[in-house]
Amino acid sequence: MKTTAPAILLAIGAYFGFVVAVAQFHGMTAFALGLPSGAIATLAATCGVAGAIWFLFANDQVESPRPAQLLIGLALLCLGFGSYYGLFVAPPEQYMGEVQRIMYVHVPTAWNALLAMTLAFVCAVIFLFNGDYKWDSRMEGSIETGVVLAFLLCCQGAIWAKPTWGVWWDWDPRLTTTAVLLFAFLGILALRKFVEDPAKRAIWSAVSTIIAYVDVPIVYFSVRWWNSLHQQQSSPGTVSKQFWLPLRLNAFGILFLMVAFIMLRARIASLRLKHEMAPPLPEIAELGEAV
Amino acid sequence: MNPGTLSGGWNFVMAAYGVTFSVLFIYGVSIVSRLRQESKNDE
Repeated sequence: MKTTAPAILLAIGAYFGFVVAVAQFHGMTAFALGLPSGAIATLAATCGVAGAIWFLFANDQVESPRPAQLLIGLALLCLGFGSYYGLFVAPPEQYMGEVQRIMYVHVPTAWNALLAMTLAFVCAVIFLFNGDYKWDSRMEGSIETGVVLAFLLCCQGAIWAKPTWGVWWDWDPRLTTTAVLLFAFLGILALRKFVEDPAKRAIWSAVSTIIAYVDVPIVYFSVRWWNSLHQQQSSPGTVSKQFWLPLRLNAFGILFLMVAFIMLRARIASLRLKHEMAPPLPEIAELGEAV
Repeated sequence: MNPGTLSGGWNFVMAAYGVTFSVLFIYGVSIVSRLRQESKNDE
């Protein structure tokens, strides 16, 4: 298992994500090394995501389930603490009251759903350039995990929308573009199911992924481009310090879980591909002739 | 409490967390069982 380099990145991410958040909450600003809150959040996110993806690409071709087990263990730890803190320790928000606690699962799910789609896009581009089928398997894993997270995102959004907007669903730009994203990637999974030829399947789904990915920046910027019921993106400057820790813990938790799922799902895809590409067994008659 | 603050809503919070962890758990179990099946076929 290759862990040293990604572990260093993840440790830096955890320091800026969790240690600094706890220290600042208790008024110990020295831990922040004089950096502004925006830079701290960017460092935490960049190092965390880079470390997790590095770990994924370094370990997803090994047969051992150890790397995925390690990630699932870390994910459970982060999600356990993050959810406890978000549900029982963090205070209710000024206007939304207790309902705002949905943010601690909704926002991390959104970030990681878009990240999974981005990984699928990167894998699709690399596959089209080098034709190596391990990137096709990684793409399949990323798409399926992204679809699960996007579905979850729509469910959580509907549950949050009912008490705050009064409706479960509204054809608002953010919600509509997210639904389009979910169904576009679901369509790519359906395409992969129906095409039997591995070469055609890989090329067609890579091209479709690149086309479907156009919706990801549209989802992200929809709240800025159009008049939307959904709020605009927050930043550490606009979110209270008391909300940072559960949000970051759950974001890292879902990130680790997402990477573990992609790792295992890509392994399933490569095992299936191995069977499909294996030469057919000789007929019994041919064996007889040979004897 | 401020005027205009939503009161209650714990049922929605629990529903959101319940859906999140249930979906993640079911998907995790489905991946592990599919991987076991594929590994068995590979042997």
